Amino acid sequence: MKATYRYFAMPRFTSTLEFRMLGLAVVLALILSFISPYFFTERNVFNILDQSVVLGIVAVGMTLVILTGGIDLSVGSVAGLTGIVLALLLKEFSIPLAIALAIGCGALIGLFSGVLIAVFGLAPFVVTLGVMAMGRSLAYIVSGQRSISGLPMGLQNIVYTTLLGIPTNVIFLLALYVATWAWLTYSKGGRTIYAVGSNLEAARAAGLNTLFYSIFPYVACGALSATAMTFSLAQIMSADPIGGNQLELDAIAAVVIGGASLYGGRGTIFGTLMGVLIMVMIRNGLNLLGVSPFWQGTAIGAIIILALLAERLITWKSRRV
Amino acid sequence: MVNSSKTHEPLLVARGVTRLFGTAYALSDASIALCRHEICGLLGANGAGKSTLSRIVCGHLRPSSGEILFKGAPLIAGSARDALRSGIALVAQETSLAPDMSVLENIFLPSYAMPGRLSFSQLRHKAQAILSELGHDHMLPLDIEVRRLSAAQRQLVEIAKALALNADLVIFDEPTASLSPIEVDRLFDIMARLKNSGKALAFVSHRLEEVFAITDRVTILREGKTVAEGLPTAGLTQADVIRHMVGRDIGNVYRKASSLAASNEQPVALEVTGLNASPIVRNVSFMVRKGEILGLGGLVGAGRTESAEAIFGLRHRNGGRILVGGKEIPPKSPIAAIRAGLGMVAEDRRAQNIVPDMTVGENLFLAQMGKHKGFGRGHSARRTQARELISRLGLPTDRMEANLLHFSGGMQQKVIIARWLLIEPEVLILDEPTKGVDIGTRQAIYELLREVAEKGMAVVVISSDFGELLGLCERVVVVSDGYTIADLPASLLSEESLTLLAAPRSSAERNAAFLRDLVAGYGGTAFWGLIDDDRFVCLAVADGARSTPMGLAAGHVYLAHETAIPLALEGRQPGIATETDGRSTVLAPLSNRRGHDLGWIGLTLPPGSKLPKAETLSARMAGLFDTPQNEKIDA
Repeated sequence: MKATYRYFAMPRFTSTLEFRMLGLAVVLALILSFISPYFFTERNVFNILDQSVVLGIVAVGMTLVILTGGIDLSVGSVAGLTGIVLALLLKEFSIPLAIALAIGCGALIGLFSGVLIAVFGLAPFVVTLGVMAMGRSLAYIVSGQRSISGLPMGLQNIVYTTLLGIPTNVIFLLALYVATWAWLTYSKGGRTIYAVGSNLEAARAAGLNTLFYSIFPYVACGALSATAMTFSLAQIMSADPIGGNQLELDAIAAVVIGGASLYGGRGTIFGTLMGVLIMVMIRNGLNLLGVSPFWQGTAIGAIIILALLAERLITWKSRRV
Repeated sequence: MVNSSKTHEPLLVARGVTRLFGTAYALSDASIALCRHEICGLLGANGAGKSTLSRIVCGHLRPSSGEILFKGAPLIAGSARDALRSGIALVAQETSLAPDMSVLENIFLPSYAMPGRLSFSQLRHKAQAILSELGHDHMLPLDIEVRRLSAAQRQLVEIAKALALNADLVIFDEPTASLSPIEVDRLFDIMARLKNSGKALAFVSHRLEEVFAITDRVTILREGKTVAEGLPTAGLTQADVIRHMVGRDIGNVYRKASSLAASNEQPVALEVTGLNASPIVRNVSFMVRKGEILGLGGLVGAGRTESAEAIFGLRHRNGGRILVGGKEIPPKSPIAAIRAGLGMVAEDRRAQNIVPDMTVGENLFLAQMGKHKGFGRGHSARRTQARELISRLGLPTDRMEANLLHFSGGMQQKVIIARWLLIEPEVLILDEPTKGVDIGTRQAIYELLREVAEKGMAVVVISSDFGELLGLCERVVVVSDGYTIADLPASLLSEESLTLLAAPRSSAERNAAFLRDLVAGYGGTAFWGLIDDDRFVCLAVADGARSTPMGLAAGHVYLAHETAIPLALEGRQPGIATETDGRSTVLAPLSNRRGHDLGWIGLTLPPGSKLPKAETLSARMAGLFDTPQNEKIDA
């Protein structure tokens, strides 16, 4: 009498949420290309990829944090602060050294949050909220409340060099996603991050290094925020203390659209990539359509909620009570 | 007596109940009838649908089809609140408590759904009364948050919650899973009282002995279908019930292990000395040899689980040494213990073992990944062993990618045990390995443990099921109030003696004080113990002035003819017996007010001393049960 759970004919991947989000991204792209003939031009496609870099890099760090069941609200202000720090360092040091120091600075801030959360057991939301406030305030203080320009021209190389016709920042983004995917799927560390978010006690009892992998995502998140800001600086060639403002909201939205659970343990890096592309495409499309920037927030918020609602309705039946 | 035709009218009738989860049938054509003045056992293997049926009857779940009549009228199902109002309560298996609320609030949580004002002082009195009925008034503070309680204490709160509702129909879904025998006894007293006051009760349990002890009828489910309804328990044998449950015969589950011939010459695999992990574990010492199955017995909350966790590095240790294969392991973290050769199946399957978002396969390999050093997952190193284990345990190979939570409890437990067997530890500790596991799987687990022990693994089993401890283990170490108090071969023990040995020290302490009192008055040696056949289990002993040493120590078992007082112990008669060497002993039976046999109290004096009469002794012993504090001794 018992029905079996096996899916015949259908490969497993198609039943996943990421797959449906890929479908959503494709449908969205098709709709936008019908509405605006400019949308599907080569130039705009590169534009979208280019605009995805900053959010995409930050979303990788956010994915790791959310997989452990945490949240990092400080990515935006860490990006702002490390942007200012990088701009100042560039005046003193060589470009690679300055970039390395700025990323190290982001990692240190992440370490600070991670230790407070994993060792002292403070709530991730509260700790990173505090770090968010401190980061933004320090960005203003360090910069003297003004934007810093006059960065060395060599910095532009990390954006405008191309490899096989693809800009290096896009290559970096894709390489980061592939590497993170492989790490999360096939390495002990990556699996430990899932286990920590899914059942910390069981992970610890199985001998996994839960302490290290509860801290590490915050370190990675801080370092990746600084990395994202480096690419951003290279494009606009100036650092503003308000830089990276509200980046945390976009990053969290992208990760959640990509199917990750805010309770941890569930989500994939491919899903996050889809989430990032959906977010950027919507914004790009709204710009092409000439929607006022003031209306864009409402539109994006509504689309996110509708996407998640549709997803929930699709899976409603198969959920166990 | 109430009108007899009325009492046999079922209070609740469920007919043809079907329930689908997705496309899978959890219930197909289940039926049950529950009558007033009756306790009906609801039996079935894991996944047979017992819990689903219970939850449907209580309105927690809506049936896909079927008819449920309560007091003759159709029950509006699907609303727990309506069911509560009409007088149906459920003692849930998976705890339905709010962990951050106090014990008091949890007990009266259903009252929050009722209109009207709540009087907390009144509720407090009521809660106190219910808990003292359960025998836990002074052990379970009302203001503590539920998340700080042990599994057994939570279960007691769950039971108290159902009792507080004063419902006409109470369903007990595996209420005894983490209770000690003493607590089970108390629960059965309460259930009998509820039954006599005209309530209808349903009792779901995997422990057949309990079902036979308490139920009047049994209804048996198999694969979501009722295969036997309302059979009178009196006319059934365990074999009948098992045949209905699994559809075939199963032999004796406790096939005694062919104990390793020279087991005392096997090297010691794990040695624990003076383990202290405050506040619960005070002084725990034991050792287990290669190829031996050691039982760690005691009441829930006595410190067994906590000891295991401290050994394994999950709990901070304040003192003590732990040697695995002669090498001390640092008290750092589980990884140090695992690399030293330990493995542990923790008590709470869902909270401590299963990683719900990982597949069956990955759950199986989790400890291997933890033990393995290196960057990768370390799965490939043990693929062949994994394949062997999977076929050995009868796990479905085609569902390794499925979610472990979709499997039955027994299957989940097999996967978790396999997780540890995969890394081939030298010592495997299992905490309540058969909790909530059906009898077929239990047998498979016992066989598996015997098999790995025969291959040389040392196995430590923690269990509240004393029958299981005695049936499976060769030796039993008893823990009480954080101390190891006995270390005995299982063949010398019975469930009764184990129960008395495991009793909290606070209650044993009264008897010890009584013994000290005796020897202060008469001198000599006073003892409390169990005598059965030719064995004497010494539970407490006190030496006074003018005593000649008798070599008795609490927590030890002696052969009667090898003690200094063979005639007295072999005679087993209340009265005075004089040995050949002239010393004489007076014996008197000890029993509590309910007439429960608690063994014997004896006083031995050197030759030529004047002994009190057995009646005098008995009269003084009666005083032991006068104050209400002695409640706890009612074993």
